[in-house]
Amino acid sequence: MHLFIQACILGLLAGGVYALMASGLTLAFGVMRVINVAQGAMIVLGAFLSYTLFTKAHIDPFVSVVLLTPLMFLVGVALQLVFIRPLRADEREELSLLVTWALALGIEGLLSVLYKTNYRSTITSYADKSWRVLGYHLSEVRVFAFGMSVVILTLLYLLLTRTEFGRTVRATVQNPVSARLLGVNVDKVSALGFGISVATATAAGAVFGMVTPFFPGSHYDLISRLLSIIVLGGLGSLGGAIIAALFMGMAEAVFAAEISPTWSSFTFFIVLIAILLLRPQGLFGTNERGAL
Amino acid sequence: MSTLKLDGVVAGYGQGDILRGVSLEVEAGSVMCVIGPNGAGKSTILRAVSGLLRPRAGSIAVDGQPIASLKPREVLSRGIVHVPQERSLFPQMTVWENVLLGAHVLGDRARARRRIEEVAERFPILRERRNAHAGSLSGGEQKTVELARALMLDPKLIMLDEPSMGLDPKARQRVFTTIRGLNETGLTVLLVEQNARAGLEIADEGAVMDGGVVKLRARGRELLDDPRVGALYLGAPITPREAAPEPTR
Repeated sequence: MHLFIQACILGLLAGGVYALMASGLTLAFGVMRVINVAQGAMIVLGAFLSYTLFTKAHIDPFVSVVLLTPLMFLVGVALQLVFIRPLRADEREELSLLVTWALALGIEGLLSVLYKTNYRSTITSYADKSWRVLGYHLSEVRVFAFGMSVVILTLLYLLLTRTEFGRTVRATVQNPVSARLLGVNVDKVSALGFGISVATATAAGAVFGMVTPFFPGSHYDLISRLLSIIVLGGLGSLGGAIIAALFMGMAEAVFAAEISPTWSSFTFFIVLIAILLLRPQGLFGTNERGAL
Repeated sequence: MSTLKLDGVVAGYGQGDILRGVSLEVEAGSVMCVIGPNGAGKSTILRAVSGLLRPRAGSIAVDGQPIASLKPREVLSRGIVHVPQERSLFPQMTVWENVLLGAHVLGDRARARRRIEEVAERFPILRERRNAHAGSLSGGEQKTVELARALMLDPKLIMLDEPSMGLDPKARQRVFTTIRGLNETGLTVLLVEQNARAGLEIADEGAVMDGGVVKLRARGRELLDDPRVGALYLGAPITPREAAPEPTR
């Protein structure tokens, strides 16, 4: 039982970071019907940028998040304008797969040239420290990473629900034609939405690099997990993605602890298939367009 | 004087034309009802006026000013509101949020809040169901909220695409009564309606479309009795039985 609870704690902390990673993916899908398979590569890019700031300038990864996210937000806006906006609206869902896949391979190639293909890890002074609470170990890095994810997701939630921009994002997700008829600049919302998506990926990448060794090809594994999470949560549903991420994180950790670490990453797909057989629209998806 | 004037408008999707030279005028303060069979191009007129579809030829003017090349946001700013045929509320947002978005182009939250209080005086449902998700409302309630949202900008012309579609007879009657009431406050209404009898009954003027052009135009009541309408619209003249009022519960 002790091992089970320890695994649940570990899984919950990992799930928080997965939630941050998946939030941008589901946002991009909700707003633009874009399946951004480059989200994993963006996270790895964030991990490398944070790693570089840490090793070259001794900037703590949690501080680098503050520096990198605004910059990568602008990069995201530029990527949307150059690669996504020119796609025809009626073919965007399909073509975005190809375009963002090309983007992922481009980022992987660039990182392979700059950093080679060795595994890296951002090892801070508190990397091996942990707290002991009621007999359970809480890794400081993972707790900080979880905390940062909670803060960023809360800010994202407040942005979406308490600001006029957020309301236009949600309106665009739920009914883009109606949003246009009310004067919402859907093109602008899409570009800013993609920028936010890339910014959250960068923030998640900074903490990913602290808890997991990474290399330029790490995005293949990441994107398969993230796609499982947003499908399970219901495509376009932010709340669904968060709950699915926490659930998947815990399922993976418990599977690794109780059965075998070898097959733990396969847990995502077993859970996904089992739930989709019962509820094809995912846990929190609707049969209507988007639920952000 | 006409609020809206279309002259020889040609528009469509892909390679095909849906509108093949539509000319139509909507007088200020009137209700104009456009009827016609499916595929005649009724809804396409509204999409062309609201900027969702750019005409390939012809002109569209509001109060004499051309608007054919404007974006939806710019058309909206000129006081033209389009309530589309399909349900247009944001189902996961509250009723209040939905209606507030009707004033999005103002870019002035305080003004929007003042305006929604005025609109809520006319539509009490806004306060009664303020925090309900729009998707949880009945079809009739949703249509009422759509109409309320359309009034947020205090428009000069409201374009309604089949507002009675999918509603039960009672809700349908309420919607038509509301439309007539709005018109009595001076609002100009361009109504596209599949339910020809109900639409023409509240209309000052009617137009019958077929094949992408306006085939007939007359006063609403006159069109109801015109045998040519039945021939164009139903393939047979409208009989007195078909023209009889619908029973209401």
